[in-house]
Amino acid sequence: MGAIITLCILGILLLYLGLFKMNKALLPVALVGLLVALGFTLSAWNTDAAPLYNGMVVFDRYALSFSALCIVVTALILLLSKEYFRNISEHIAEYYCLIIFSLTGALLVNAYHNFAMLFVGIEIMSVALYILVGIRKSDFASNEAALKYFLMGAFSTGFLLFGITLMYGASGTFDLGALRNYVTSAETVSPLFYGGVLLMLCGLCFKVGVAPFHFWTPDVYDGAPILITSFMSTVVKIASFVGFLRLFSTALVPLDAFWTPVLLTIVIITLFVGNASALLQSSFKRMMAYSSISHAGYMLFAIVVIGENSVPSIFVYATAYALASVIAFAALILVKRMSGSDQFESFNGLAKRAPWLAFALTIAMLSLAGIPLTAGFIGKFMMFNNVMGSYNVTLLVLAAINAAVAVYYYLHVVVCMYFKNAEGAHAGHTTMMPAPINYKVVLGVAAVLTIVLGVYPDLLLVLFGG
Amino acid sequence: MSIFYFVAFLAIFFALMTIFTKNPVHSVLYLVITFFTLTIHYILLNAQFLAVVNFIVYMGAIMVLFLFVLMLLNLNEDTEPMKSNLVKIIGAIAGMCLIATFLGAFRVIQPTNELVAGNADIGLVKNLGKVLFNEFLLPFEISSILLLTAMVGAVLLAKKEVRKA
Repeated sequence: MGAIITLCILGILLLYLGLFKMNKALLPVALVGLLVALGFTLSAWNTDAAPLYNGMVVFDRYALSFSALCIVVTALILLLSKEYFRNISEHIAEYYCLIIFSLTGALLVNAYHNFAMLFVGIEIMSVALYILVGIRKSDFASNEAALKYFLMGAFSTGFLLFGITLMYGASGTFDLGALRNYVTSAETVSPLFYGGVLLMLCGLCFKVGVAPFHFWTPDVYDGAPILITSFMSTVVKIASFVGFLRLFSTALVPLDAFWTPVLLTIVIITLFVGNASALLQSSFKRMMAYSSISHAGYMLFAIVVIGENSVPSIFVYATAYALASVIAFAALILVKRMSGSDQFESFNGLAKRAPWLAFALTIAMLSLAGIPLTAGFIGKFMMFNNVMGSYNVTLLVLAAINAAVAVYYYLHVVVCMYFKNAEGAHAGHTTMMPAPINYKVVLGVAAVLTIVLGVYPDLLLVLFGG
Repeated sequence: MSIFYFVAFLAIFFALMTIFTKNPVHSVLYLVITFFTLTIHYILLNAQFLAVVNFIVYMGAIMVLFLFVLMLLNLNEDTEPMKSNLVKIIGAIAGMCLIATFLGAFRVIQPTNELVAGNADIGLVKNLGKVLFNEFLLPFEISSILLLTAMVGAVLLAKKEVRKA
């Protein structure tokens, strides 16, 4: 709870700093605030977790680990923001404030124990993002993305609320623990409850952006400013998954015969839609958007075959995915700043101009593709291992095919960087302007962590006693 | 019970009129009437607070806002977006799926259900306040962050950018 209070105060503090025109202090204060929040999160690690405030929130290890991950990723993304927001407009303080509030929402979703908190958390997270997506007011794509995200988000919230209502109608409670009691003890689970489960499934699938509820994802990720895209595709996606997994693992496991086929269909559609569309893209940013859909599909594995390994595997997968995404989007910002485009062609010959940037991006791509010695491999391995444990051979084969397809489009970037020469307008630029120090730090930290976790995954697994 | 059926009929009738009428201003006015019928439903259910909020906020504030936006948008036949038949068919199928799910879920509802009839006074303002400030205090407080976020966002989007020369 300390972390959430810290972040709330931090957001308001940032607004005041903006009021008094102390723009230089914004980033350091935000980072210090995040560190304090991280400290509060980690200090609660060894305490006994019990639902607090009349069962509203619970800070168990599951919530704390994902909260820490969200805070760290946000800190990395904020480090990238130093010069970024200044190019968009004058109101920098508000952007920081909205990102921090969005993170607060994510932490609430991580720790909810009552549907009221889930709803409030998801709304705080999304409302801040609706604004952030549209902060480039003169850019048509950004406006379209914001409107689309807002309409789709409002629509999916409707589904979510209707689902919550129906489940309340059947069981008379919003509390996850009481819902579990209802599911295990009731002689016949009311059809209302099944309807509620289906609607909540739809709402949450909208939020995490899996097919066939993915239509907003490419346009929104493409139209939003790159930094916001990286925040959306990491922190927000992870938090939505945590909420998803918490609902299903605490309350709905006894009903798995009902929702597993539904979820299985969704996973298979997601994998194929995400990978096949990513294959056809010519823009790096749009490719990342579709690849995030397919990664959401892989993360759903943990919910399809729900068990004690679900939490560690989704944590490792989310960490690997978030680190790699941060590298990829940071590299994209640098490349776009130089060439003005986010097509694959602008990556041509990057290895000659900026060898270290190209190297970090290569690590990220290998990690996303799931090549051994990177964190992405460990994540995919644990996910596949879960599926193998439940003898779901069809899903395993389909997933393996998709992983192979994914290698193709991730390596496309690497091929562009190392084996193609820059043509046309950029041919003259033999050297790239040096990356700012904050980019170097973020790229370095994320790349090293990706390798370290890939070689020695026990660093993370020990958190869960594995 | 007869009042209920009459009001329910009116609600569905005006909701359909909202969709089928061609003129957007008429559509909004029908929506206002639909909300009014819903307010009557809330009163029938003894939910005072919901009825009042629905009446003031939805019917009053939001619908007036709708009308203003429509007035500013200046909609006419030419600006109507293209609707292909494929979209209509897909929409119909999806809607029917939703109705099937709901009917499947609602078939067991009985008015004598203990959850429904357990406490008839639960919708009174007094009881609502007790629940809100005891059990649901944390979400209530956290909602302030939600409102603050929305407020900051609205100002941010509406504020004029100062162009650097």
